[in-house]
Amino acid sequence: MNEQIFVSGKNIPEIIPNLELWGGPIALYLFFGGLAAGIIFFANYFYLRGRSNTMVMTIKVAPIIAPIIIAIGLILLVADLNHKLYFWQLFLHIRMNSPMSWGAWTLTVIMIPAIVWPLYYLPESIEYIKQRAPKSKLIGLFSWINNFVRQFKIILWIFKVFEKNQKLIAYLTLYLSVILGVYTGILLSAFNARPLWNTAILGPLFLTSGISTGAALLIWLSNDHKEIKKFSRLDLFLIAVELFFIIHMFMGMKAGSIAQVEAGLLFLGGPYTAVFWVTVVGLGLIFPAILEIMELGGLKISVWIPAFLVLMGGLAFRFIMVSAGQFSSYHII
Amino acid sequence: METLERSKRYMNPYLAGLIIGIAMIAAYYFSAEGLGSSGGFKTVVVATTNAINHDYAKKTKFFESYVSEPESRPIKTWLVFELIGVMVGAIISASIAGRLKIGIGKSPKITNKTRLIAALSGGILWGVGTQLGRGCTSGLIMSGMAVNSLSGYIGLAAVFGGGYAIAYFFRKLWI
Repeated sequence: MNEQIFVSGKNIPEIIPNLELWGGPIALYLFFGGLAAGIIFFANYFYLRGRSNTMVMTIKVAPIIAPIIIAIGLILLVADLNHKLYFWQLFLHIRMNSPMSWGAWTLTVIMIPAIVWPLYYLPESIEYIKQRAPKSKLIGLFSWINNFVRQFKIILWIFKVFEKNQKLIAYLTLYLSVILGVYTGILLSAFNARPLWNTAILGPLFLTSGISTGAALLIWLSNDHKEIKKFSRLDLFLIAVELFFIIHMFMGMKAGSIAQVEAGLLFLGGPYTAVFWVTVVGLGLIFPAILEIMELGGLKISVWIPAFLVLMGGLAFRFIMVSAGQFSSYHII
Repeated sequence: METLERSKRYMNPYLAGLIIGIAMIAAYYFSAEGLGSSGGFKTVVVATTNAINHDYAKKTKFFESYVSEPESRPIKTWLVFELIGVMVGAIISASIAGRLKIGIGKSPKITNKTRLIAALSGGILWGVGTQLGRGCTSGLIMSGMAVNSLSGYIGLAAVFGGGYAIAYFFRKLWI
């Protein structure tokens, strides 16, 4: 007699009926990834436009943050793995049709300019902080790092190579930062079993959101009026693009298959409606946009308020998308 | 000079009161509830407690009625969104008048620390009081009187009468 073991495909905890695998750390990682992409994008873009001397904060000081938050994001990512000790295997494989593989490699490669760039500018950054905040404790820390790093001949050699090819490196890094920003969205949209995520607009949407949070952080950190004004304008434009993408995402879902219609309904009457439209669209996009318009119109507004709101909106956006996407699925009618 | 004059400009209080009244009618019309502020804070407390320890919230008398249903979402109430709107509106209105800045409003004779401790203690008493009285100045008195409820009128007499009676002892905090 042949025995047969029948395993039902339905009994898969944490996957059916809803995916329950990714929590806060993943959302936070996507946020940090997008934010870092934004910071690196602006540093390289304005460097290439020849603004090194007028936009010191953007080009020289703020990039210090990028490698730190990428590292925090990667720690969160490793902490989320079931087999933590095997994380290095991602770096031994290249799989062209896996966005995770693309992301792992992009992060690896972008980490090099992300670290070298701010280290190269560290003396100027220290000067900048000394002028604006002479009592800051960061000065001591940065000076120590600067002196420590410049002891090694190999690093001085790296700086020399960097200096020679900076323009080329900036072009490459600019390109990589866009890939990094898009990847945070593509990572989700590659899940064809989750109808909410499985839309091509998620990549550009996450990229825009990431760059917008980057601009917001630069508005917050900078105290140069021209720089703030420039980024306020840019941020307004990015918010408009983001709203456009969000509306089109839902229009696309409404016009899609039944699974996508259901996924869209999570935000148009379903459990995520209030939290999405109030915190992300209302408090995270429209309200800061109003404040920025008022500020550009000449009213005195503390710039950190819209900047803080945009950052929190970006964070909430990722938490909601990660959570709602896992909730959406193909229901068998 | 122009900005200085603008910064002193506040809305006419009678006009502002009229607008609040219209907002009250709109609130009753659209949400079937009046305006309030303590209720929103209470909801946030209930939702936080529920999220951290659902069993405790279920067993405790005060929280019980808000979290008894399995799918209840205490945070999803009109007052929470109203409070978000209040903050958003306050920021916009203050920035139009050029008054938007962080500061501690106090009498020049007391320190910031005294002011903050006094404000915190007052806030705690306010929180306890509103729950005993089932509402604060806006929820109990304004919304209550808007529907001609007797408790609203009693609340009005109690809150302002109590305020006048106690104010003498705490006058040093302000003058």
